[in-house]
Amino acid sequence: MAAPGLAGLFAVYKPAGVAWGRVREALETRLLRELNAAPQRAPRQQVRFLPSPAPEGGGAVELVAASVPVLADHPLVRGPRFRKLKMGAGHRLDVKASGVFVLGIGHGNKLLTDLYNCHLTKVYTVGGLFGKATDDFSDTGNLIEKTTFDHITREKLERILAVIQGTNQKALLMYSNIDMKTQEAYELAVKGLIRPMGKSPPIITAIRCLQFALPEFQLEIHCLHETQQYLRKVVHEIGLELKSSAVCTQVRRTRDGVFTVDDALPRTQWNLQSIQEAIRNCQLKVQTELEKTLAAHEENSPLHQLDGTQLSMLCRSLREQHNTAETCQRGDGQQKERG
Amino acid sequence: MRAGELTLRAPACEGGQDGGGLRAAMAGLARRLLCRGFCVPARPPSTRQLREADEAAPVFQYAGKAARRKDRVFVWGFSYSGALGIPSFVKPDAGWKKPRRIQPTPYRLETEDKISSAACGYGFTLLASNTRDITKVWGMGLNKDSQLGFQRSRRDQTKAYEYVLEPSPIPLPLEKPQQTRVLQVSCGRAHSLVLTDSEGVFTMGNNSYGQCGRKVVEDEIYSGSHLIHQLKEFDSRVVQVVCGQDHSLFRTKKGSVYACGWGADGQTGLGHYNITSVPTKLQGDIAGVNIIQVSSYGDCCLAVSDEGDVFGWGNSEYLQLASVTETTQVNVPRHLPFKIGKVKEAACGGTGNIVLTEEGNVFVWGYGILGKGPNLTETAEPEMIPPSLFGCSDFSPDTRVAHVRCGLSQFAALTNRGELFVWGKNLRGCLGTGRMEDQYFPWRVTVPGEVVDVACGVDHMVSMVRSFT
Repeated sequence: MAAPGLAGLFAVYKPAGVAWGRVREALETRLLRELNAAPQRAPRQQVRFLPSPAPEGGGAVELVAASVPVLADHPLVRGPRFRKLKMGAGHRLDVKASGVFVLGIGHGNKLLTDLYNCHLTKVYTVGGLFGKATDDFSDTGNLIEKTTFDHITREKLERILAVIQGTNQKALLMYSNIDMKTQEAYELAVKGLIRPMGKSPPIITAIRCLQFALPEFQLEIHCLHETQQYLRKVVHEIGLELKSSAVCTQVRRTRDGVFTVDDALPRTQWNLQSIQEAIRNCQLKVQTELEKTLAAHEENSPLHQLDGTQLSMLCRSLREQHNTAETCQRGDGQQKERG
Repeated sequence: MRAGELTLRAPACEGGQDGGGLRAAMAGLARRLLCRGFCVPARPPSTRQLREADEAAPVFQYAGKAARRKDRVFVWGFSYSGALGIPSFVKPDAGWKKPRRIQPTPYRLETEDKISSAACGYGFTLLASNTRDITKVWGMGLNKDSQLGFQRSRRDQTKAYEYVLEPSPIPLPLEKPQQTRVLQVSCGRAHSLVLTDSEGVFTMGNNSYGQCGRKVVEDEIYSGSHLIHQLKEFDSRVVQVVCGQDHSLFRTKKGSVYACGWGADGQTGLGHYNITSVPTKLQGDIAGVNIIQVSSYGDCCLAVSDEGDVFGWGNSEYLQLASVTETTQVNVPRHLPFKIGKVKEAACGGTGNIVLTEEGNVFVWGYGILGKGPNLTETAEPEMIPPSLFGCSDFSPDTRVAHVRCGLSQFAALTNRGELFVWGKNLRGCLGTGRMEDQYFPWRVTVPGEVVDVACGVDHMVSMVRSFT
């Protein structure tokens, strides 16, 4: 049974060293505990005729009407009111990575799919260390090789980053499945709106160096369809390009679509009230972004993913977030089928 | 028990027929060794062991502190003419290899010296180095008009090669070969020009229209000719040479322009439509103007002055000069009054022109694939190509176009980040994008290095690249 009022998307700051599944379970457990601890509704009362000794005495039994609580409503008989919560996870983070982790509760899970279909970029802060190469590209892996790095300068690193950005820009245009010979492709390329709206290999839309202090450096990477291990591999390849080697020390997601680190709840705030507040705060942002992206792609017929009925159902579900009423959606859907 | 007894017992079981019995015996042996402390069970390495192994590992050095960036040459396009300079594309060196007609992506051309200037002609290429060695210029490709000088054939010492498949040295008749430096080379349809710092300009190749700057000899046979003409008499030192299709332009230090060659489209700019065989100074709107750059590749010519004005003459059938005149041939340089800002560089193609302004904006006009999508095929007024197509965005706002180049039907732009963008007709893979389709807006070419300069030809391109590290 879904909890009314607790449906939507919110972001949580996943710490490094835990699997995303554990984070989801921990949140689910915490929410269930708090929901079950909330005062339950009073048990139903029923009128029962209970035997009671007659005032005359002498073994006579009289039936007295009394309003007693129904045993079936007793908390020990019913058990906890909420046993499971439908909580879905957005773009996952692996064990070593940390950062913004979007979760959806209840009807928000449907929005998760829609956000995924928007193909928004994610921003990571990636820390690297020159001089070592390991088998899993991170600093905790088995050492493969150690190299010198005193010949590396910030200028060389930025040159390599410019080239990475250039080749990924090309991949962006190529995987977006638009015919390059059309005027429409030119217009989109000028505005910078060409983006793959389907499956594609990981693409880095922007990369730049935030800090550089040999042997450490920090990059900011904006990417699409990536995995954290791919980002570690990028750090390793940057090391190879610079004729040295590099390992990745930190992968931290600072932005996932519309959710930033400011929206993400830290561990101390993983409770019902903060989550409800977070859902309320993010609702408007998510809605505007979805409408904007899906509307933009509805104009370009080869690109839009949803057809008319699905789009109208989506808009209706967004409105329903405000009302928290399920019935109108089901009712309209049935009408559509009949009509 | 003594250790020897264990070894005596083990062979007895090895002779057994079942492998299971052997494994059990070995397990028993291992257990006995463990109990007696002769061996330690395997354990994942502790932190201290890992740290010690880390410190004990050798450190490799792939590049020293004073590592220099290397200069490389990349070529792409049509290879059967030999213009790419890679013989294995035309004549494969192994039986199973197939000849490669088109090289669609940049391919490294190994050169001995650092190439400072390159030029692509119609089916041939010239590479020049700034060195003081004897060999300063190399040529490859078509040599049917001796545009690459005399390339002695090894089979027959009296004949010359008609196709040169590898960069071969061009012997220049220099007075001081160990002191003169070659500054620049330029190639036209069937002739080429070599500019030196102290010995003037050397011309070779076809001279049927006087484009080599010497008197036209009737029925002259250009194939296998040893003749390389030297031009010295100009008002001051020549600082730039440009070849059009069948004419030559020379720009001097004082800012004046000389021309010779075919003039039927007015491309010599001398006021008539005849051929000129002696370089003559141009007048018209550029008289007295300090010209800092001249450009031509087909039959239209553009010149840029130090004030940022653009002057044009020559063929105007494709609206190249339609902003000032309706005539399709202009034989006197005319000022093109464009309100696009101070122009820094101009480049002419066969049917389209491109200029670069001081702010870094790129303007195109003319006919053909101009770079603003398939809808814009011709315009007489310059149209700007949005800087976002060249990689300028909020993330890197100071990316600017630094140079523009033109081939016969394609354009190239180099940014200050060392990226090369090409667009236009993809004739025989000359764009280098890896695809064979035409490109209607600027597209990055993936070159493994920072592109320093590019030379565009009819169906091939040559780029000078510096490696990243």
